Amino acid sequence: MSKPTVDDELVQEYLAESREHLTTIEADLLQIEDDGAAIDEQLVNRVFRAAHSIKGGAGFFDFVKIRELAHKAENVLDMVRCRELVPNSEIVSILLLAFDKLREMLADYRQSNSIDISEFVGALTNITTANLAADQKQAVNGQVSLAVPNAAKIIQVAAFDLAQARRGGRSIYLVEYDLFHDIHRASKTPLDVLRGLMKFGSILESGLDLDSAGTLEDEASSRLLMEVLYATPLEADLINEVLALPPEQVKLIEKNGQAINLAGAPAGQVASVNLPALPVTLPASPVTAPAAAVPVSVAPIPAASTAETAEASSRPSVAPAAEATIRLNVELLDSLMTLAGELVLSRNQLSEAVSSDDSTGIRAAAHRLSLVTSEVQSAVALTRMQPVGTLFAKFPRLVRDLGRDLGKQVQLKIEGGDVEIDKTILEGLSDPLTHMIRNSVDHGVEMPEVRTAAGKPAMGTITLRASHQTGQVVIEIIDDGKGLPADKIGASSLAKGMITREQLDAMSDRDKIMLIFLPGVSTAEKVSNVSGRGVGMDVVKTNLDKLGGKIDIDSVVGQGTSFRIKLPLTLAIIPSLLVSNGGQRFALPQVSVGELIRIPAEQQAERIDRAGDGEVLLLRDRLVPLLHLSEALGGARTAMSDRAMNVVLVNTGSFEYGLVVDDLHDTVEIVVKPLGRHLQSLGDYAGATILGDGQVAIILDVGGVAARAGLTADTITRPTGTEEEATESQSQSLLLFHNGPGEQCAVPIELVTRVERIRPEQVEHLGGRRTMQYGEASLPLVALNDVASMGQVGEGQQWVVIVFERTGRPLGLLAAEPLDMIESYVALDPVTLRQPGIAGSAILNTRTTLMLDIFELAGLARPNSTETHTSAGSVQPVAETAMDIPPAPTATVLVAEDSDFFRGQICRLIEGVGHQVLAASDGQEAWELLQQHPDVNAVATDLEMPRLDGLGLTRLIRADGRFGQLPVIALSSLAGEEEIARALAEGVTEYQVKLDQDDFLASIERALSPTAAR
Amino acid sequence: MTNANEQGVLCPEGDVVASAVPQLRSELRDLVSTGVRRLVVDMKNVQMIDSAGLGLLIAAHNSLKKMDGEMSVIQASSDILELLTTLRMNQHFKIEGQ
Repeated sequence: MSKPTVDDELVQEYLAESREHLTTIEADLLQIEDDGAAIDEQLVNRVFRAAHSIKGGAGFFDFVKIRELAHKAENVLDMVRCRELVPNSEIVSILLLAFDKLREMLADYRQSNSIDISEFVGALTNITTANLAADQKQAVNGQVSLAVPNAAKIIQVAAFDLAQARRGGRSIYLVEYDLFHDIHRASKTPLDVLRGLMKFGSILESGLDLDSAGTLEDEASSRLLMEVLYATPLEADLINEVLALPPEQVKLIEKNGQAINLAGAPAGQVASVNLPALPVTLPASPVTAPAAAVPVSVAPIPAASTAETAEASSRPSVAPAAEATIRLNVELLDSLMTLAGELVLSRNQLSEAVSSDDSTGIRAAAHRLSLVTSEVQSAVALTRMQPVGTLFAKFPRLVRDLGRDLGKQVQLKIEGGDVEIDKTILEGLSDPLTHMIRNSVDHGVEMPEVRTAAGKPAMGTITLRASHQTGQVVIEIIDDGKGLPADKIGASSLAKGMITREQLDAMSDRDKIMLIFLPGVSTAEKVSNVSGRGVGMDVVKTNLDKLGGKIDIDSVVGQGTSFRIKLPLTLAIIPSLLVSNGGQRFALPQVSVGELIRIPAEQQAERIDRAGDGEVLLLRDRLVPLLHLSEALGGARTAMSDRAMNVVLVNTGSFEYGLVVDDLHDTVEIVVKPLGRHLQSLGDYAGATILGDGQVAIILDVGGVAARAGLTADTITRPTGTEEEATESQSQSLLLFHNGPGEQCAVPIELVTRVERIRPEQVEHLGGRRTMQYGEASLPLVALNDVASMGQVGEGQQWVVIVFERTGRPLGLLAAEPLDMIESYVALDPVTLRQPGIAGSAILNTRTTLMLDIFELAGLARPNSTETHTSAGSVQPVAETAMDIPPAPTATVLVAEDSDFFRGQICRLIEGVGHQVLAASDGQEAWELLQQHPDVNAVATDLEMPRLDGLGLTRLIRADGRFGQLPVIALSSLAGEEEIARALAEGVTEYQVKLDQDDFLASIERALSPTAAR
Repeated sequence: MTNANEQGVLCPEGDVVASAVPQLRSELRDLVSTGVRRLVVDMKNVQMIDSAGLGLLIAAHNSLKKMDGEMSVIQASSDILELLTTLRMNQHFKIEGQ
């Protein structure tokens, strides 16, 4: 540069001005294209002046290449202005590309003189000389060697393909795999990997490094390199997530053929790598690429309207330069100035009061200071607010280019471009919005002929709208295309195994549509080359989650789809809940906090269960996984068996879990400070903040904490949606299974000893009975169609045997998959579908489900074990020990049980042996019944009941002198020693685990026998 | 496995995967050492090729090429055909589908 001492400030001013020109140019050029021959002179003049002033400044600073390119563009625009040239879409495309290049060069102005612009200059010159020859419109046919540093092999690819592949804004990467290290060790096959890649883009070329395989004489090679040249809409920051490869094995191929190492090497360094050694062979190209400067050069295709809107993000090394300055409203600056004055005044007031030791004055000053501070805070926050219009401005071009590539007619309407949002959020929105708009054009809007046939205008409309709503910014993307087919999405998710058939059946159309946010769900029969459907929608959601945004979809098939994104205004100051753990304080963003739960020490045993290797909390009618913060962060769990447990119910967006912390503190507004670079890769921390007392608190990322602890959405039991209102009653754990196809049945899980998958041929038919080998013995098998009029387990189903041992002797029930375990409240209908062996029906998972009566079934299946059996479902086999004792002829037993199902079973059992039963659905009702019938001979009570539980009932009974000797049998599915000891301490006579009929009847008889009276 | 006038056929009994590679490698070595220069790998019983299997095929190709021989793959299933052609192996040796 001839002026090495160029005043930096001046350059910055020039750059800022140029960038401002460039932001409006795109929209203006598109308008010019629309106008065609009927040019709007003012508009063209504006663009002309922009090019002109860029040229002027560049001349001043001696940026020769920038000046040259701006000059050529200016020439073309001059011809348009003078009506010597009709701005058709090819010309506008070339101009757009030229201005893109200018923007790129301005961003890296120090290197701009060494950037090759000959293609652009050539193309623009061709326009001005008005001989845009046909052969120049054609792509260059030539093989280009891509040479990349450290790459083992050179892939040959046609320049034409490379340019084609970039259409629609796709990026091109060179991906390097070691077949052994990256593929074999990950338990994949090369074909898996290639097909995986094809899901997200297309493979332009691939090859193996044959030499690294060695020969047969060598020992088996441990290294075999595969290179893939890959075109994908995924941008640089996403590609690594998809590939799961070390970043140094992925290289972004720039438009000029340079490779950018995604491992983050500085741009200047990578640009120069041994490329010049490999000359390009571009035969008879009208626009010759200067091989010395850029070895791999793809000649521009004048017709190509490559949408490189994602340029900034795919060029990470360049992007930050453009964002270093920000323009402010002068009014806002003035108000900041005024506030600064106020601050000074408050400080003076404060020091005055302090020096005179005037405590009232100090308080007043402190109050004033706090007032001013909050005003400063909101004013400064405003300086970060930027109109969304700056982001929206890039989309008309994207829509135009994509529409052209796809042969669709699409217009983009932008509304609310002046809505302001925090700069950080705005930057984070760029990628998700780009993905979504691409999707709308590619998959939402139909081809013109399809639209016309459907009675819609041929021109599709996509509306991009921003608005303020209750302290949030709402961004909507609405298209009038074909809509999202809920059923197809559901079917696709099912086929990919992401949801089960039962879950799908229980889903509303809206839920099904939301499935597109699961990774890999696709509705398109064929993945188009613009954007693979499903690609990125999960990433879109992840990105929005990071911004604290929520997304919602509305779609009507045939009429269109609307996406609604709700975003917070700012991320810099957020209300947060402070918690502490191990003496350290942490902040939890309030948006992710659902509720705070305190579990007293004595309730912990009953409310917290173990599921697999994790803990779950019973919260009303749901199970919520628990995570101890100290464990999640790698420390030891704080001992808390003797103290109440503090649980914060947090929501990660896709699921919720309970975070166990030592202490809960206030909710405060915290100022988010980014973490140092060395800590930024820690996913569990979202940042840090400084608290009022000067201490640092780390802000937790609830999703990150869960991920670190291995907690994901799939490990969580889904709550059943339908019976949630019935919170009054205790929920029951049920095993769901099928009999014949479509016949869903359920049994309480407590009764099940084991479930085994079997093949039909394992069933042995001996002596008219069905048995199978079970351990050393043979297990009698019963099928539901033996005893009830039901379908048969079919050949096509996967057979299972459910083994029950509580029925006295083990019994196997033949059933079929799918199996499921649910936690649900059961509203048993004991009438409609009552049959022998079937207690009744209930609606579970939105399906009518038959509730089995295993005891009755066992009795029916074993006719030889009893002499007679009565018809009405009474159950015969009573343990011999019980038979010895003559039962009291008409004893009355009071049964308290909240589960209809169990209450029915218990009553039938007791009535079966000839006693009377008084039934109550909770402890309170039982106590009232007992007042009316003080002559009851025994009480059988469940422990877990609403209103008054079993222990409370026992306490009342024992406290009343009349019932001091009344036997109380506690029935519970809890079988811990502690529970038993506590129950006995309260005065329970016997403790029975639900529900072993023989044991239970024996204990009833014991209670009723005269000798039992104490 | 047959062997006549420099021609030999290797017909793996199952998938060409890591567990089978040592055995196949020694079979291939034997074939080459008995003078086979035109090797045909018959994939009719092969469903899958993994990284190690691919390495073996290429090693065989490299060995034969050194000795001015050639290798070809026949009766490849559609998956294997897709794999080998995507990796442009058809530019190095002949590949036929089923």
